[in-house]
Amino acid sequence: MRLFWASARFQALKLRHSLDDLMVLVTLPLFTIAFMAIVTEAGRFDLAPYAVVGTGIMAIWSIALFVSGEIIDSERWNGTLDATVAAPASLATIVLGRIAVVTLISLFGLAESAFAAWAVFGVWVQVHHVGVFLLTLACTFFAMVGTAMIMSGFFVLARSAVQFQNSMSYPFYVLGGVFVPVAVLPGWLQPVSKVVFLSWAADLLRDCLQPAPVTQVLLRLGIILLLGAVAMAIGYVLIRRVLHRVRHQGTVSFT
Amino acid sequence: MSTGENVAEAVEIEQLSRTYQRKRDEQPRLALDHVELRIQSGEVHGLLGPNGAGKTTLCKILSTVLLPTSGTVRVAGHDVVTETDAVRRLIGIAFGGERGLYTRLTARQNLMYWSALYRQSSREARTRVGSLLHRVGLADRADERVETFSRGMKQRLHLARALVGDPRVLILDEPTVGMDPVAARDFRVLVGELRTEGRTILITTHDMAEAEAVCDRVSLIDGGRLVATEDPRTIGRWLSAYERITAEVVGSDLADRLQQLPGVAAVRTEGPGRVIVETDAEGACAEVLRVLVGAGVTSISTGRPTLEDVYLKVVGDRGLVVR
Repeated sequence: MRLFWASARFQALKLRHSLDDLMVLVTLPLFTIAFMAIVTEAGRFDLAPYAVVGTGIMAIWSIALFVSGEIIDSERWNGTLDATVAAPASLATIVLGRIAVVTLISLFGLAESAFAAWAVFGVWVQVHHVGVFLLTLACTFFAMVGTAMIMSGFFVLARSAVQFQNSMSYPFYVLGGVFVPVAVLPGWLQPVSKVVFLSWAADLLRDCLQPAPVTQVLLRLGIILLLGAVAMAIGYVLIRRVLHRVRHQGTVSFT
Repeated sequence: MSTGENVAEAVEIEQLSRTYQRKRDEQPRLALDHVELRIQSGEVHGLLGPNGAGKTTLCKILSTVLLPTSGTVRVAGHDVVTETDAVRRLIGIAFGGERGLYTRLTARQNLMYWSALYRQSSREARTRVGSLLHRVGLADRADERVETFSRGMKQRLHLARALVGDPRVLILDEPTVGMDPVAARDFRVLVGELRTEGRTILITTHDMAEAEAVCDRVSLIDGGRLVATEDPRTIGRWLSAYERITAEVVGSDLADRLQQLPGVAAVRTEGPGRVIVETDAEGACAEVLRVLVGAGVTSISTGRPTLEDVYLKVVGDRGLVVR
């Protein structure tokens, strides 16, 4: 655990000196304003939670893709991966600690989105089920960390990681029911959405913003956790494999 | 210092080969070719070679960053492929150059992070980092961002990072690149101190003077093959036949006569009347001196070959070609 916390502390320090990594949080209010403008223009204030949750999740996913996903690869470019690999520490645990901090910070995107909706349109999105909301955030955090572990390993293998990063945003917003509930997607697409944790997380978060009781809370939280655990296990294995591969190929760092 | 079995040989390399092949249809490139090397505990060993000779590849394999293609490598008796964790606890590595540091963080923040990777507690790390920063002369700049450091200062920070885990075997890849002469001299003193502490040190360098000053033995490496491993002074003696005689006020006739002498490899003219005679056979030097004195030349000097001369003779002078 010491290694995990040390890596988390290190990432927090690094982010403090590299605020450009969090540019997504700077542009996020613009997205919120765009979606809120559509909602208010249509007179559908009941859809404000979709705009707020949707853009908040967009920020969480984007930061996972472009910051967490690049953690190993940026170490290669920086020439620090050699010394990291030569240290008696698990690379996967280091990456886990660092991703945890990035993901934690990205969760503020939801609050920022809600604030932007209130500040510009005077629409206050109220959390009606605070307990479930917080539990959902915790489970979403866990699942996002696991998924980002896969990204960080996968982007090392990809010859053109940027292409993957760019193409993994909007398709996942659709599959994850970020703006449009999975229930209204074409029938053949819905089973695919069910294995994307975002779809469960987005639905639950939106439900927490409605006065109606939230149903099947434990089951839905359990599925998010399960999908997150599977992703984390895959991420751990992938990072070990990737490490072996770059040690074999002699591409631990780019000279 | 990190504990480990008290084996006499800190590093054992047997039949080590390493090839690189970026693409399947590409011809494999041989970086190390059946290298055999043993480094005793407490020894300071120099690895000399031109760019692309295989020095860094060898360091990377020793530090478990790179897997060998064939052969075995053991550090303090532990195999670098099958016992990586044990090896990593025993080694410290400093890769040279500007990269390899978190430049937006301070020197202290860099070292505190690396200490955590060596499983040191916060209190232990604070003490060790403070002492290392002092040792490498960065105590006054410890809380400044690394991006403001000169290249030499970054090199010193690399060295401190390599020492953070209190390693028994220290691998220094081009450690003095970018250091000014004073810092390079301090570095040599530091290497001496580390040797006194019983650490085994492998240094790769282009700097012959550095190798002569700090190394117990030197290995010459070229084209992935270990050409020779000897005491730096022993290597110098190999070429005792290759002496160099410099004489002033020598006419062209005399220079021609010198060229005809047996054992004279070359006669070069440098400026008006100044010639440099290179011999390649024992006894040739004495004959050259006799002829020069006999011709009335009194401004004469002879020189023993430096390690650089040896290096060029053994590895060969091929200019800037990288194999």
